[in-house]
Parts: sequence; C-alpha cells; structure tokens
Amino acid sequence: MKSIRTFLITVILSTITLVVFLSALNGYKDSMHKAEQLFDMALVDKAYLLSIVFSLFNENGYKPLSESRVINLMQAKHPEIKGNDVFMFQIWQDNILLLRSLQTPKEPISDFKTGFQNKNIIGHRWRIYAFYNDKLYLWILTAERSDIRYVLAENIILETILPVIIMLPLLGILIWILISYGLSPLRKLAQELGNKKADDLSPLPVDQQPVELIQVVNSTNNLFNRLKASFLREKRFASDAAHELRTPISAIKIHLHNLTQVVPEDNHSFQQLNDAVNRMGHLVEQILNLNRTSPEQYISKFTEVDLYTIAQEVIAREYQQFAEKDLQIELEGKHVHINGDPFALDVLLQNLLSNACKYSNNGDSVRVSINTTEQSVELQVQNSGPGVPEDQYGRLFDRFYRLHGDRHDSGVTGCGLGLAIVQQIAELHQARIELGHSSFSTGLSVKVIFNKNNVNTRDEGRNNA
Amino acid sequence: MLLNSVIIVLREVLEAALIFSILLALSKQSRIHRTWIIWSLLIGLFGAVIYGINIPLVSEWFDGVGQEVVNALMQYAVYIMLLLYIIILLLYASEPAPETRKLLVIMMVLITSIAMICEGAEILLYFFSVTRSAHHYAAVMMGMIIGASIGISIGFLFYYLLMNICEKWSMIFGLGLLILVSSGMISQATLLMIQADWLPAQMPLWNTSDFLSEKSVLGQLLYALVGYEATPTALQASMYLGGLILPVFIIVLLKLKFKG
Repeated sequence: MKSIRTFLITVILSTITLVVFLSALNGYKDSMHKAEQLFDMALVDKAYLLSIVFSLFNENGYKPLSESRVINLMQAKHPEIKGNDVFMFQIWQDNILLLRSLQTPKEPISDFKTGFQNKNIIGHRWRIYAFYNDKLYLWILTAERSDIRYVLAENIILETILPVIIMLPLLGILIWILISYGLSPLRKLAQELGNKKADDLSPLPVDQQPVELIQVVNSTNNLFNRLKASFLREKRFASDAAHELRTPISAIKIHLHNLTQVVPEDNHSFQQLNDAVNRMGHLVEQILNLNRTSPEQYISKFTEVDLYTIAQEVIAREYQQFAEKDLQIELEGKHVHINGDPFALDVLLQNLLSNACKYSNNGDSVRVSINTTEQSVELQVQNSGPGVPEDQYGRLFDRFYRLHGDRHDSGVTGCGLGLAIVQQIAELHQARIELGHSSFSTGLSVKVIFNKNNVNTRDEGRNNA
Repeated sequence: MLLNSVIIVLREVLEAALIFSILLALSKQSRIHRTWIIWSLLIGLFGAVIYGINIPLVSEWFDGVGQEVVNALMQYAVYIMLLLYIIILLLYASEPAPETRKLLVIMMVLITSIAMICEGAEILLYFFSVTRSAHHYAAVMMGMIIGASIGISIGFLFYYLLMNICEKWSMIFGLGLLILVSSGMISQATLLMIQADWLPAQMPLWNTSDFLSEKSVLGQLLYALVGYEATPTALQASMYLGGLILPVFIIVLLKLKFKG
C-alpha cells in the first residue's frame, strides 16, 4: 500500500459504485416488473370499461360511435392526436366482430381465452387481454404495444437512475476531500517530524492530536526523551573522560620533564615515551573536539565572526610548529565577517594548519587565503608538501584514517581525526569542502566554501600578511 | 435496453479489468514499476478504436467470419502469452534480472493491450450499432456507464485484495486467477471458432441458464473469472479443461525441477 489516501478513496468509491449500481440494477428490474403489472392492470380496466359501456349501450339500444367519429371529435379539441397505434380493442359475439378500434384487423387479435397473451400483429409485439362477458356472451379483447409500454416504463425508471450516475463523480470528489481532511493530522505529524532539525529533540504537542495518533506521539516523545538523556550522558561521559584523562597526561608530562634531569634527552626509550605521551594528549584533545562539534551534541553559538582575525590568531598560536620546520606561512585576503561559531571555526583552522604543517617538508610553504565570490566565502589552506594522490581524497575524511596507514613517514604526532573534525564543523556551517592540487608545484589544497546565504557575510578592505 | 447494455459492457470490461488488476499486482511482486500500464492503455485504446472502425472490413475476411476468427486468434494469442508469462514469472520470480524484467514488461503490455483491443472493439461496435437509433440512446449510455463502472470497480477491489494478502498467497491466488481467466478465454475463442464454422458445432453438454443465467451480473462475473458458460459444448468444455490443466501441469513440473 503506497498511499493510504489513494487506497481509501479507491476502495471506498469502488465499493460504493458496486453497491449503488447493483442496487440500481435490481431496482430497475423490480420497477420494470411493477410497471408491467401496472400497464396490465390498466389493460384489464379498459376491457372492463369497454364491457360495461357496451352493455349499457346494448341494453338501451344505442349504437356506439365508431372510433373514427370519436377521433374526429377528439381532434376537434386536441389537434395533436393523430390516431391510436398504441392501443386497440375488439368486441366479439358468437364469432361476429361487433366493434373494433380504427387500425385493428378484422380477424381476432388473440385466442378467445380469458387472460393475457403476447402476439405479433401488424409488425409489432402486442400485449393482449381477453375478457369474456358471460351475460351478453361478449369477448372483449384489449391490446397495447409491448415495445411502447417498455420504452415508457424504462424512461420513467431511467429518470430515477440518472441522478445516481450524476452524483457518483460528485461523491468521488466529496470522498476525496473528506479523506484528505481526515488524514490531515497524520500529514501534519509527518511534516512536523520532517521539519525537525537533527538536534531538536523537543517533544511533540500531544493535546491537539486525534485519539488514534496519541499513542504514536507519546511513543515518539518517549523516544526523544530517551535519546536526549542518552546524548547528555554521552556528552557528560566524553567531557568527564577527557577531564580525567587530561589530568594524568599532564602529570605524566611533568614527570617526563623532571626525568630530563636524570635521563639524557637523546635516550631512545625516553624519546619514544615522550612521543607516545604527546600523541596520547593530542588524541584526547582531538576526540574531545570531534565530540564537541558533532551535530547531535553541538549547541551552536553563532555570532558574527571575522574569519581573517581568527586565521591571524590561529597562525600566531601555531607559529612555533611552523618555525620548527622552517616553513614559510602567508595569510592573504581580507576581513570577512560571517555568521559562525568562533570556537568551532578556530578548531577548523587549527586542524587545517596543523595538517598543512605536518605533511610539509622542511622549508616548504603554507598559504592561507580568504576570498569572497558573489555566492560564497572561501577559506583555503595550501601547502607545497608532497601532496595526496587523488584516489585517496574520498578517504581523507574517514575517522582514524591516515595516509599510507601506520607506516606514514611524516614523523609527526597525529591520529587521523583532523579532517573528520573539519568536515563536521563545515557541516555545522552548511559549508562544503573541496580538495585539490595546491597552486604550488606540489602539495594539497583544502578549500572550505561557506555559502553567503547561510552565513550572512559582511566584507571589509583587503589585507595581506 | 439498460440491462442488455450493462451486461454487454460488463462482460468486456470485467475481463480486461481482471487481467489488468492481476498482472498489476503480480508485477509489484516482481519489483516491476507500474508505468507499463500507461503503454498498455495507450496501445489498447488506440488499437481498439482502429480495430472497431475497421470491423466491417475485417468481418468480410474468411467468407464473412473474419471478426469471429480474428477475435478467436487474439484470445488464443493472449492465452499463449499468459502461459509464457507464468513460466517466466515462476522461473525468475525471486530475483528477476533486468533482461527478464524487460521481457515480463513486454509480455504484460502485449497481453493487456491485445485484451483491450479485443474487448474495446466489441464495446465500440455495440455502441455504434445501438446508438444509431436515438430511441434507446439514454438507456444504452446509462447501461454502458453502469457496466463499465461495475467492471472497473471489481478490478480495483481485486487489485487491492491481491495487494493486501501476504506475498506468498497473493502469488498463488494471482496465478490461479490468471489461469482461470486465460482458460475462460480459450473457451470463448473456441465458441467463436464454432460460430465461424471453423470448428464443428455440437449439442450443449448441459444447460444451467435457469440456475445461473449468463445475463446476470453474477453470471458475467463468473464468465470473466472462470469462463462460465450456461450451455457449453463438449469441445468448449474440453478446451477449457485443457487450458486449465496445461499451466497447472507446467507449474508442477517447474516446482519438481526446483526441488530436484
């Protein structure tokens, strides 16, 4: 069943059509039978009337008017009467035809047997009634055209069926409207659920729902509540775990620092331990960032931020690691104000710069540029490092994915979460990411494109650093 | 006149509506999109009008029995295609390949459009012949509307019945109905061949007109559904039985082969 509405309309209308038309056909058959009986009764009445009138005339010795005389008299008053080809009669006595209607043959139109008979006379089918007057020994034969009787009866009955046929399409429209109206709460509920944002776990209103949907809404609200509680627990767990992990890592770092007094710094095991602790610290920070910026968890605090200023701040903060590798870093573009989350954008840039630094060789260059087009604001980070093969672009956003796997030879701390965090933050800002070759001879370019309609931009003059 | 036109139109519409509804329900099970029905309707309607207009010409073929022979041949063709359709459906029902699906769609379009051409032309012919006299125009028109509406309504209800029973039963029920309808067509085609004197005329085996008249709505429903005839000849009855047994035999063979 694809659509409840189509199903209901089709099935209800089909059933109504079937029932109504079958009843109409049944009614038609019954009415035709009744009409036949009615015509038969009229035929009997005419025979009795003729018998009585003829008897009276006969007793008083009057000679009855011939039918042509009667028709002439009638036509004087009603000129539309042309003659009678629907009804005919004969009056017989001892095999002698005493009287007949104008167009009636001179032979008996039926057998002299009381009751109804059907005969073909002068090219038509006739219904004939024969009545015997046993006082005067008269046979009265009255007849009517069967086809005319049929058409007359049918026309009357059709008048009653016609409204049913006309009403059916109107009924269809009415059913369509009523069912659409009846299903509107369901449509409204589906719409409300569809319009909900990913992080909107507020309960749906129950009081306006029809009885049939209350259980659905209650169950959905319970599910929302459980989901909300679960997210909160998870968030609390992540922050608690990070906090709990940060403290011992800081303690280890202090002890490592103290150990330098005792252990020579070039000791291999000491260096390995130092690297491992740094990697662990980085991993904890990245997991925290990933967790904080996930759309389910993130409660965005969008304000107007200057992308250029953020880039300046992040570069200044991370400058030490660039200097260590003797990297050239340049920032170009202009102050652009966009509507965004400052913390998230800071994390985004920090990750991009950190990656650019990690995957560059000593003496390479890194360029950060902020450009505006008619439609968008573009934040681009490029390096002149060895770059990434194009077939790996799709995988770079996978969590814990590192180029060349565990064997990667960058020799720097990393956990493979950086671009996953960048992508998550870009999604929060409804921005898209484009990977490509950098404008240097080698290297990777990562472009985050913010749609102007989504981030409400404001431009200022051009700056270069 | 009203009853006559109801019965004549109902007879034609019901048969086509049943074939449509069963094939539509079965195509849903073979994961075939129902857009094929638009092609069927277009080809069927167009073909029915062309055939209906040219029936006087067709009637002159084969010494004046062209219409009977052509109608019978169309019905035999529908039967053979339905048989092939059932075989293909049973062989590849679970996971039809795109080529098989295409073949099934072509067969369904052909079956339904030929059925529509056959039945539609009869309705057109009846309409033209009866409405020549203005005397019964209203009764004939109303009868045609009532007959067509009853036929289409039964088709819709059958479709939703097949769609709302469980898939396994829907398949069995649908195929069973299809075999019954197609066997009924074999019986009708044989009657047409007897009327055309291409097959020998025989005395009826029995007469159940008093018990269930072919001129009643129930009689017409059974006529379309199981090929009910009040006065069948031995040839008709044996063709009907043959038409019924052959697909059942093929289905049993296929099932045995699958089990083997």
